[in-house]
Amino acid sequence: MALDEKNLEAMLDQYPAKVKRNRKKHILITNSKEEQIIEANTRTIPGIITNRGCAYAGCKGVVLGPLKDIVHITHGPIGCGYYSWLTRRNKAKTEEPGKNFLTYCVSTDMQESDIVFGGEKKLSKVIDETVSIFKPNAITINATCPVGLIGDDIQAVAKEAEKKHGITIMAFSCEGYKGVSQSAGHHIANNGLMDQIIGDGELEEGPKGKYCINILGEYNIGGDSWEIERIMKKIGYHIQAVMSGDGSYEELKNAHVADLNLVMCHRSINYIAEMLDKKYGTPWLKVNFIGVQSTINTLRNMALYFGDQKLIDKTEEVISSELAKIEPQLESYKKICAGKTAFCFVGGSRGHHYQALYQDLGIETTLAGYEFAHRDDYEGRDIISEIKGDADSRNIPDLEVTPDDKRFRLKISPERLEKLKEQIPLSNYKGMIPEMKDGRVVVDDLNHFETEEFIKALNPDIFSSGIKDKYIVQKMGIPSKQLHNYDYSGPYAGFNGAVNFAKDLSMSFESPTWNFIIPPWRETPLLEGSIEEGEA
Amino acid sequence: MEKEIIYSRNVNENPCNMCMAMGGIIPFKGIEESMVIIHGSQGCSTYMRRHIAEHFNEPIDVGSSSLNEKGTIYGGGDNLKKAIDNIIKVYNPAIIGVLTTCLAETIGEDIDGIASEYLKEKELNNLPIITVSTPGYGNTHAEGYWAAVKRIVTNLAIKKEKGSKVNIIIPQLSPADIREIKRLLQLMEVQYTLLPDFSDTLDRPFERSYKKITKDGTKIKDIVEMPDAVATIQMGVTIEENYSPGKYLEDEFGVPLYNTPIPIGLENTDVFLSLLSQLTGKEVPEALKQERGRLLDCMIDSHKYNAQGTSAIFGEPELVFAATKMCCENGIKPAVVATGSKTAKLAELVKPLCGDASLLDEADFVSIRSISTEMKVNVAIGNSDGKYLTEKEGIPLVRFGFPIHDRIGGQRLLSVGYIGTTMFLDRVTNTLLENKYNNYRKEMYQKFYWEPKKKTLAVPGS
Repeated sequence: MALDEKNLEAMLDQYPAKVKRNRKKHILITNSKEEQIIEANTRTIPGIITNRGCAYAGCKGVVLGPLKDIVHITHGPIGCGYYSWLTRRNKAKTEEPGKNFLTYCVSTDMQESDIVFGGEKKLSKVIDETVSIFKPNAITINATCPVGLIGDDIQAVAKEAEKKHGITIMAFSCEGYKGVSQSAGHHIANNGLMDQIIGDGELEEGPKGKYCINILGEYNIGGDSWEIERIMKKIGYHIQAVMSGDGSYEELKNAHVADLNLVMCHRSINYIAEMLDKKYGTPWLKVNFIGVQSTINTLRNMALYFGDQKLIDKTEEVISSELAKIEPQLESYKKICAGKTAFCFVGGSRGHHYQALYQDLGIETTLAGYEFAHRDDYEGRDIISEIKGDADSRNIPDLEVTPDDKRFRLKISPERLEKLKEQIPLSNYKGMIPEMKDGRVVVDDLNHFETEEFIKALNPDIFSSGIKDKYIVQKMGIPSKQLHNYDYSGPYAGFNGAVNFAKDLSMSFESPTWNFIIPPWRETPLLEGSIEEGEA
Repeated sequence: MEKEIIYSRNVNENPCNMCMAMGGIIPFKGIEESMVIIHGSQGCSTYMRRHIAEHFNEPIDVGSSSLNEKGTIYGGGDNLKKAIDNIIKVYNPAIIGVLTTCLAETIGEDIDGIASEYLKEKELNNLPIITVSTPGYGNTHAEGYWAAVKRIVTNLAIKKEKGSKVNIIIPQLSPADIREIKRLLQLMEVQYTLLPDFSDTLDRPFERSYKKITKDGTKIKDIVEMPDAVATIQMGVTIEENYSPGKYLEDEFGVPLYNTPIPIGLENTDVFLSLLSQLTGKEVPEALKQERGRLLDCMIDSHKYNAQGTSAIFGEPELVFAATKMCCENGIKPAVVATGSKTAKLAELVKPLCGDASLLDEADFVSIRSISTEMKVNVAIGNSDGKYLTEKEGIPLVRFGFPIHDRIGGQRLLSVGYIGTTMFLDRVTNTLLENKYNNYRKEMYQKFYWEPKKKTLAVPGS
C-alpha cells in the first residue's frame, strides 16, 4: 500500500495547526519529476517524542568516544557520563597493554556546591588523577549543560593541565543545549580534532608503494570497521587512521599523510573531510560499505581514483573471491527476504546506506529518514549554498583552515580530479533522495506519533531504527532491527557483514513467534480513504 | 587507610548511580494515563528513555521541552508550554509530570509558575501538572524517585473522611515484584492503594491494539484519598525524611507511618505480613504459611553452599539493605555493601547485621572493585554495571535492581515475598555453585595432582 498526499494530509491533521505546518516541511513523498526540498536540522518541536539527542551526545558519545587511547572526561553531574558509558557498541582492540580506556566512564560528578562555586578546581584535580591512574596518550574534556552556564573556563583548565602533564588535553564546549541535535556536537568534535590532533604527528608521508587512506565517519559498531579493514588489506591498501571506530590518538595525529579520505557517515565527519582537503590537498570519496553491490562500487571507485591497473585488477580479483564465498550463503536468505518491505530510520547516514543492503536482499525500503541530518544529506551537497544559516547553526563556528605551508600536496592533478568527479563521488555526496524510487516516504526527525501512523499506513515487514521506538513497533506486531546497536549483533558492513545482516533479518522473518500474532490491520483497514486512479 | 585514599578522590570512575531526573520518571509511569516531560535539553530525555526502555523492554515515552541556547538566555517557559500543549494533543493524559534538569535548575526556571500560568491560560481545571525539582547535581536517581513520589502525594492528596484502606508506598522494584506484593495483599484481604504501580505499565502484555498510555497504574482518585487511609506502609527504611511521602502523610494528615524494609528475605517478609495482620486483624492465611515453610526448606537445602559465599551488594540503598538482610540470613557474608547515594541511614541499618563489611556510600565501581578483590568476594549482587566485576575480576554477578541491560527480563525478576525470596536465593546459590563447578576440577587438580607430579618430574632431571 502506498501513501499519497491526501492520506498524508489526513494523518498530519491530527496535529495542532502550527505543528502540522512545521512537520509537513519535514516529510515528502519522492517524485523525481519535481525539485523537492525537505526541511532538516531545525529545532525540534517541544513535546514531540523525538529520537534526537544533544550536542554532548554527538561530541563525546559519537565522534570522540571511540578513540581508545584517550580518556574522555565528562565534566558535569553524573548522569551524562553514565548515559554515554559504553552505549554505542563501538568496538576496539587493545594494541598497547592498558591503552584501551573505552570501558571506563570518567566523570567529575559535579555536586550542588560545584555549580554554585564553579567546577574548574575539581576538573583540574580530576585531570591530575586521570593522568596518574590511566597514563593516557591524551585527554578530552566534554562539557555538559551546566558547565557553560556557570562559566567554567574549561579551555583554560585544559591549557594549564597540558603544560603541567605534557600530553594533549583538549576541551570541548559541547553543552547539551547547543544546536538542535547531536549534529552540533559532531561539528564541535570535528573542529577540535582537526585543530589539536590531526597533523601533530611527525610522519611526512605514508608507507612507500602503498595506497594510503583514512576511513572517516566509521565508528566500528559491532566490528564494522574490522570487516572493512579486512577487505582493504586484502587489496593492498594501507589504512592510516579510522575516525573514529577502533581509532587512536597515535594514528590520528598522522592522518595528514593519507592520499585519499573515505567518508562513510557524511553527516558526522564531512567537516574534517573538507578541512583535510583544504589544508593538505587530500580529496575525499563518499563510500558505502553497507550492502554487497555498494561495497563493490566503492572498491571500484577507490581503484579508479588511484588509477593503477595492478590495483584495479587486484580489486576485481578480491571482489570475485569474496562474492564466490558469500553468494551461496546469501542464496537461502534472499529467498526469505524477497518481496518484503522495510522502514529505515537512522541517525545521519545509515538511513541511506542500509537501503542498499535491503535492495541486495530484495527488500524495498518504503520509508526512510534521518534523525539529525542536514538538507545536503537528503538532497546532495549541491544545495549547500542554498541552506540559510540560523541562530542555532551560527552558534557552532566553522574552523578556518588554510593550506599547510609544508605539508600541502596535491594528491592528483586538478584536471584529473575534475574528470574523476564526473565518474565517482569525489569530494561530493549526492544524498539519499536521488537514490530512492518515486512514491517513497522521506521523513526528517521521525517521532513516535508519526511512527505509529506510518506503520498503520504502509504496513512494513521490518522496521529498522533504534531501541526507543523498537518496542512500540514490536507491540504493533512488526519485527524490528535496531540499526544503532544492531541488537548486539554485527558486523553488518562489507561482504561478510551482508551475510550477517541477511541471517539476522531472516531470523526475524522466520521466527515462529510472529506466527502467533496477527496485526489488526491485516484484518481491518485502519486508514479510511478512497483510491482514485489516473491522478498523479 | 586504603578506604580513606579512595574517599579522597575527586574522579568518579565507573559510576554506581544515575541522575535524579532518571529516577523521577519511573513513578509517573506508575500512574493511570500519565505522561512525563523533562524540562531541559532533549538529550536528557533521549538518554533516559534509552536506558529505561532497555531495562523494561517496553516503549518509554517521555517528552522534552527541547531547550536550546535561546532558552538558556530568555528562559524556557515558552518551550515548556508548547511541550505540554503537544503532549496533551497526542496523548490526552489525565496527569502530567514535569521534571527539571541541570539546565533548567541552573538557569533558575520557575516551573511551578510556568505550569500554573499554562493551566490558567488554557483554562484547564482538571489536569494536574506535577512539578518535581530533579537537578542532576542534586542527588542520585534513587532520591529522584522518592522526590517524584512525594510531590505526587503532596500535590494530589486531600483529606476527606476516614477510610479503611492501607497505603503501600514502594521503592523502585520490578513489575514482577509489584505483582507479588499485590498478591500478598490480596491473600491478606487488605484494601490498599499501592503507589506507584508500574506493574502493568512497564511490563505490558501483548495486546491487539497498541495504546500509547493506558488506564493501568495507580488511580489518581486513590492517590487523592491517601490521607483517608488507616495507615501507610512505606518500604523506605533508608530514605531521608525530607524525601519521605509517608512522613508527609503522617505529619499533614495524621496517617500512621510504618517504615518497613522491602519484603525480601524471611524476616523482612515476616515483618510485612505481621504488620498487615496487625493493621487488619486478619490471620496470615495457610497458603502463605506454606510458602514460608518452603522458603525455610530452601534455606536449609542450600545453607552449606551459601556458607561459602562472600558477597558484594550495590545499588539503590533500599534494595541494597533488603539484599544484605537476605545474605546475612543465609550466611552469604556481605563484605562490601555499597551505594552511589549519599546516605548515612544505610550504614546505620547494615552495621548491626554485618559490622565488618565495608560500607561505601557515594561509591563508584572502582572502589567497589578494589575492596571486593581484597575481601575475596565470590558473588556480586546488583545491577548490570556490576558486570565490570565479572570482566575484570571474575566475580560472578547476580543481576538485581535497575538497570539490567545486558540480559533480558529485568522487569520479570521476582525477589519479594517468600516465593520471590526463594527464587532470589536460588539465583544466588546457583551462581555460587556454578562458579564452584567451573573451578572445582582445576582447584582439585592443582591441590592434589599437579603439584606432586611436578615434583616427580623434577626428580629424574636433577
